[in-house]
Amino acid sequence: MRVEIRPVSRLRGDKPLDLTGALAPVVSELAASDVDLSRLTLTCDWIQYKANFRDVVDYRPILEAGRAADETAELADSGQPYGGEAGLEVALDLRRAADSDLSAKVRQLLAEHQNPASSRRVPLEDWVPGRQSCIWQFNALYWQALSYWEQATGREYEQALPGGESDARNVAAARELILELFKVWDDLDARAALPSELYVAELGVGNGNQARTWLDEFVALSAAHSRDYYRRLHYLMGDYSPHVLSRAMKAVAHHGEHVTALVVDATHPAMSLGFLREKAFLVYISNVYDNLPSDEVARIGGRAYLVEVRAYLAAAEAASIAASLNVSPDRLPDLTSKLVKLGPELLCEALPQHFPGAAQAVTFWRDVWGALRLQERYVPLAGLDAYQIADGLTGELLRPQLEADGDLRMHVNNGAMSSFAHTLPLLHPFGRLQCHDLFLTDIRQYLAGFYGPGKYDGSVVNWVNGPLLRHVGGRAGFAVKIAPFGQRPGANIKTLTVQVRD
Amino acid sequence: MNNGTRLLPATVIGSYPVPEWLGRMRNDWYAGRISKRHLDEAHDMAIKAAVLDQQLVGLDVISDGELRRDNDVDYLLARINGVEIRPRAKTDYFDYFDAAVTRPLHASDDLGLVEDFRFVRQLTDLPVKVSITGPFSLARRIDDTGYSDNGELVRALARTLAAEAGRLAAAGAQILQIDEPFLAGRPEEVELAIEAINLVTEGAEVSWSLHVCWGNRYARPLWEGHYDFLFPLVKQTDVQMLALEFARTGDDDLRLLEQHGWDRGLGLGVIDVKSRQVESADLVAARIRRALRVVSPDRLVINPDCGLRHVPLDIAQAKLAAMVAGVAQVRAELGAEQPVPSTQRAADS
Repeated sequence: MRVEIRPVSRLRGDKPLDLTGALAPVVSELAASDVDLSRLTLTCDWIQYKANFRDVVDYRPILEAGRAADETAELADSGQPYGGEAGLEVALDLRRAADSDLSAKVRQLLAEHQNPASSRRVPLEDWVPGRQSCIWQFNALYWQALSYWEQATGREYEQALPGGESDARNVAAARELILELFKVWDDLDARAALPSELYVAELGVGNGNQARTWLDEFVALSAAHSRDYYRRLHYLMGDYSPHVLSRAMKAVAHHGEHVTALVVDATHPAMSLGFLREKAFLVYISNVYDNLPSDEVARIGGRAYLVEVRAYLAAAEAASIAASLNVSPDRLPDLTSKLVKLGPELLCEALPQHFPGAAQAVTFWRDVWGALRLQERYVPLAGLDAYQIADGLTGELLRPQLEADGDLRMHVNNGAMSSFAHTLPLLHPFGRLQCHDLFLTDIRQYLAGFYGPGKYDGSVVNWVNGPLLRHVGGRAGFAVKIAPFGQRPGANIKTLTVQVRD
Repeated sequence: MNNGTRLLPATVIGSYPVPEWLGRMRNDWYAGRISKRHLDEAHDMAIKAAVLDQQLVGLDVISDGELRRDNDVDYLLARINGVEIRPRAKTDYFDYFDAAVTRPLHASDDLGLVEDFRFVRQLTDLPVKVSITGPFSLARRIDDTGYSDNGELVRALARTLAAEAGRLAAAGAQILQIDEPFLAGRPEEVELAIEAINLVTEGAEVSWSLHVCWGNRYARPLWEGHYDFLFPLVKQTDVQMLALEFARTGDDDLRLLEQHGWDRGLGLGVIDVKSRQVESADLVAARIRRALRVVSPDRLVINPDCGLRHVPLDIAQAKLAAMVAGVAQVRAELGAEQPVPSTQRAADS
């Protein structure tokens, strides 16, 4: 049996956590069971998100390799104890351990593991890779129906951010970037190589505050500069939501024809912005990557696994939500599916008997989201080359990290990788991509901490695998640097800058 | 420049697609996970496959696909006496070594290209081309503190390459190509580059070609512009052919050949190696016809814009098939050969 303690920093200091107290009841129950302890791993995390997708303790089957994927999954679902399993992981959240009756929970879980048919969870979906989970439909719904959510919570989404304000309003950061652009343009101009049109693109525009701050500062700096670059500037605002774009455009209305709004899928930017190929001097992306669908992969005992998830509601929460709608809990998966497809406004039109108005639909949305958890299991990958991160990116790109430091579980950030890889071709040879986001800077951080997914208000937040972005960028000929956010050096937000190398 | 082959001979510039598994094996070798012997065997097998591919698709001049080379620079730099490389380990094989010269170079033993040539020579009866990264571009990747004048380093590298060219000629090589991928980024130094190229070509009485492109590192152009900077100085080279990029950039620069009276061979780039879109045979044929307005057919060689290293194998094969089919169309129009439909060619192979 292997015990893995990730939040090692919490074992020291003035108030070290009571590890013995947390582990003793779990180990004791495991020892009393007939689980094969030689193939068991007890993994301890510290889930810092108060709203998250995990129970304080759960189990994760490690499925057997060497069978067809569907056969393995069928065996695991068959109700036979330990069918199709090569091992088992028990996951414990040390943050909540002291407040829980871990013995009872572990006993209950082991009973469920031995007899999956006895499970009282209400699954909301089939087993899927993380990026295909319905949590991402909830995430999309949050941004599409933001006004309903904000109305229900009584606060705008920026207020949900730590500090209550997005970094998008940071004038000093904008000024620094603009002055660097001016330097590049001055140099090109001196060589008669400056294009007549100067393109800057922003992907994921939020409420337009970033664009307004940036453009207002640009106008001021341009006026003070000997060359009037504002005259030649085209600022493209891209977002997948016309509603968001419309709101953002109002924020920059005073910049008139210098700004164009385009519907852009952040994961496939070249589909809408292909005309920018090798023309963009700056592509700016803030707090988008952490909000795009992601798989997780793991290396366990030298083999690569994909983490599959299944969203569910615990029995008690499901019963409570179902009672509020006067339906049985087994109706909840269908109602949830309709909610994320239709949104609150259409849901109440489609099912007025359950949702007399949008307010009730939003309440249902918030209740399900609040109670939603993810079960997990490890499914062996047939080969990294057979796993597709995104269009044009094979799983081979994961190999250096998965093989670097023994067993490891990490984000793939498929949406972010796709966005990143398909943004690079848009850059002018002297252009740059700049992102502000929650980037990990070292793959070894995964060995000592938890980095999502968590819930941020109604959205999903995941830290972004910075070393993987660095590797993907490097293999495409770009130097990728991740540095502390200059204006808030202690913040989790980091600045990623990408430019052509060699 | 036909080297005894058919009219409008078709060939590659040099590099051939590097399979992902081969790249992985190279990384494994650098990490000490496989032996040099296993890596060499993998290279041998990959080259045999690449040569067979080129023959099946119908190319007239064959290359080893540069499949033993990590990139366009390191293979040669690592073999030149006096070029210091620290460290020799890499995380990714395609990265460049950090190379330095701290004192004047002395004569090098053979650089290994003769052995590479002999390996390919035994695999095919078709003419074989060997490409050599030119002294000017090699020098661009060296931190030079060994010479007070960097031009001297370029010349010293040229003399080293000339000696290797002599050995290649003695071994039977008849077609050698100098690649200068970094020249377009330093147009103001073209005179030095050409002086060095002539030092190299002095080393062997063979058919010499000079390839100049806009860069292909990671399948991205490193620079943009026109080939004006080459002319008229390039006429002072002793090469028999210029192999230039036209498919991606358009054929505006064909005017330069006419304008400056270039009366030697032209390697016409008809395949864009930075795009995954497969050209049609008709498009290739149209590009050749446009070139024929300024270059006579006996002086024309047909090739992609640059090496195929970054193009996925299936796409590269389709592009080369389109190139060969386009060549066949034009040959037929010139009365040199009946066109062979690409589908028929595929069926035959």
